[in-house]
Amino acid sequence: MITYLLRQASRALTTLLIVLVIAFGLTRVAYRDPAAVLAPRNADQRTLDGITRALRLDEPWYLQLWHYLYRGPDIQGAEMGLFHWPPALGYSFRQQRPVTELILEKIPATLSLALGAVVIWMALSLLFGVIAARRRDTWVDHGLSVFSYTGLSVPTFLTGILLAYFLYFKLSTYGIRWFPGGGYVPLAEDPFQWARHLLLPWLTIAIAEIGVFQRVVRANMLDVLGADYIRTARAKGVSERRVHFDHALGAALNPVITLGGLELAALMGGAIVTEQIFGLDGVGRLAVEAAVGGDFPVVIGTTILASAVFVVSTFVVDVITRLRDPSGAT
Amino acid sequence: MSSPLTRPGRFPVLRDILREPSARIGLVLVGAVVLAALLAPVAAALTGHGPNQQFRAEALTETGLPTGPNGDFWFGADGNGRDVLVRTLYGARISLLVGIPATTLALLIGTAVGLVAGFFPGRTDRLLSLGTDVALSFPFVVTALSLVALNKGGDGRPLLNPVVLVIIVISLFAWTAFARLVRNLVVVLRERPFVEAALSLGASRRRVVVREILPNVLPVVVVYWAVQLPVNIMLEATLSFLGVGVQAPTASWGSMIAEAQRSSLYQVQPWFLLGPGIAMFVTVLGFNTISSGVRNVLDPG
Repeated sequence: MITYLLRQASRALTTLLIVLVIAFGLTRVAYRDPAAVLAPRNADQRTLDGITRALRLDEPWYLQLWHYLYRGPDIQGAEMGLFHWPPALGYSFRQQRPVTELILEKIPATLSLALGAVVIWMALSLLFGVIAARRRDTWVDHGLSVFSYTGLSVPTFLTGILLAYFLYFKLSTYGIRWFPGGGYVPLAEDPFQWARHLLLPWLTIAIAEIGVFQRVVRANMLDVLGADYIRTARAKGVSERRVHFDHALGAALNPVITLGGLELAALMGGAIVTEQIFGLDGVGRLAVEAAVGGDFPVVIGTTILASAVFVVSTFVVDVITRLRDPSGAT
Repeated sequence: MSSPLTRPGRFPVLRDILREPSARIGLVLVGAVVLAALLAPVAAALTGHGPNQQFRAEALTETGLPTGPNGDFWFGADGNGRDVLVRTLYGARISLLVGIPATTLALLIGTAVGLVAGFFPGRTDRLLSLGTDVALSFPFVVTALSLVALNKGGDGRPLLNPVVLVIIVISLFAWTAFARLVRNLVVVLRERPFVEAALSLGASRRRVVVREILPNVLPVVVVYWAVQLPVNIMLEATLSFLGVGVQAPTASWGSMIAEAQRSSLYQVQPWFLLGPGIAMFVTVLGFNTISSGVRNVLDPG
């Protein structure tokens, strides 16, 4: 077990390190022409020289890599470098602020979005998947599979706009204002408003994911239901409901956890689109605005963060799966 | 996944697939989309509306709102007085023009990496798997954003044609799926008697990979190509929706939907949203139905 953990951890660390070096390579490409990707619009030569000096662009690349990874020179009073606490993800000369600070401000919205969406999609896909498996080849099963196909075939951005159109715009023309069209209210300020504002964005992300997961749950359930110990349980007179929910579901859950971790880690893409549609002030929107406006340090900072989240969560998922099933059969 | 390998030939599989009802429905849907892409210039010629031509006088009301569907503009107009139907048809071209090369490029890279990784266990395999891990750990949309942000010269103009960039960015991500698939197939094939036989007869490893293993992997990979294509079409649409993909005024479903949403014009002219939206849905649904039909044939049960 311990060797397994160490091996997985070293693999995750290697991946992370390579990711960081690639990100560094991208910044090197970007910093070749600071005027295009770093400086504020219409910056004069003095500002450009200042940026070159602040980033030590005149030093050789290995020194720069060292600054980037370990500890860079301060830029306008902000500490730089990834491996100290808190890690500095760069400096936005456009906004005159460290990227870490910009991102930290936006994280609550994105985190609320992601976690709420996961809760909804897991709960609904487990429910739908189990029902579909129980009522295999009936109209319930077929109906759920049509739902899953539709969810899969509609891109997130279209789902979001349609939800906003029907549940916000159409309803409010009839005077029903259950769902706001956008905006974010911090949880600490007003939990009810927080959930009310996030409900449509949560559904937007969840619908696409339910399409995938419901099918995985159903397939696994059918697999497990054919196993010997289920037959034994049935023979012992365990009720059909308990067979499904207690015995089979537990075993069918492993692949769901693995896939769930991967999807959660890759959620950033869906979050970006959803934040854009519902005007949520999150990390995704920050990244899109920076990309369109050409504020490179912010974009690469977000990329590094998202990759790090991905690597760490795949590691955690690996470990959880292994703990649930130490034989390593999955 | 191994069942096609045990079948006697490739063509019976193809016939079974064509008999599968859901594969048929999917083929009809996809055929319609391809036809739409091919016939886009015909529609433009018939209506006399170019894809980027603006008809402000005819298609916008006095307040500047686009008109809905009528005899002249079947799907109505967009905020600039352009024909939504014609633009939707041209959007099919962009979807296929980006999706097909990106998926094909991904197939080539992924198959090459997968063949090598599967055939040479040990260090080569570990190294290539690490490369796949690294590529997978860059989240697509965010990384695409930073690559697009890099595509800027000193004068603020793009260095590379945005369509080409989108193709490259998508294939940079999509190859990993092919690599994993091919590697796992090759690992199984490598132990098969006919490979051992060829090796012991003194055939070079390169010859074995190209002559013995590749033909067995190829049918599965080609089927998988059709599975991946709609995914990549969606990625293109997502990037264009975010404003970092295909650039205006070129018609792309993603950017049309973004425009309808940003200007809220779909609330007065729903076809502005529905045209590209339905087209997108039909395309992806078509490919998904084909692939589920193919799965039913290859792996029944």
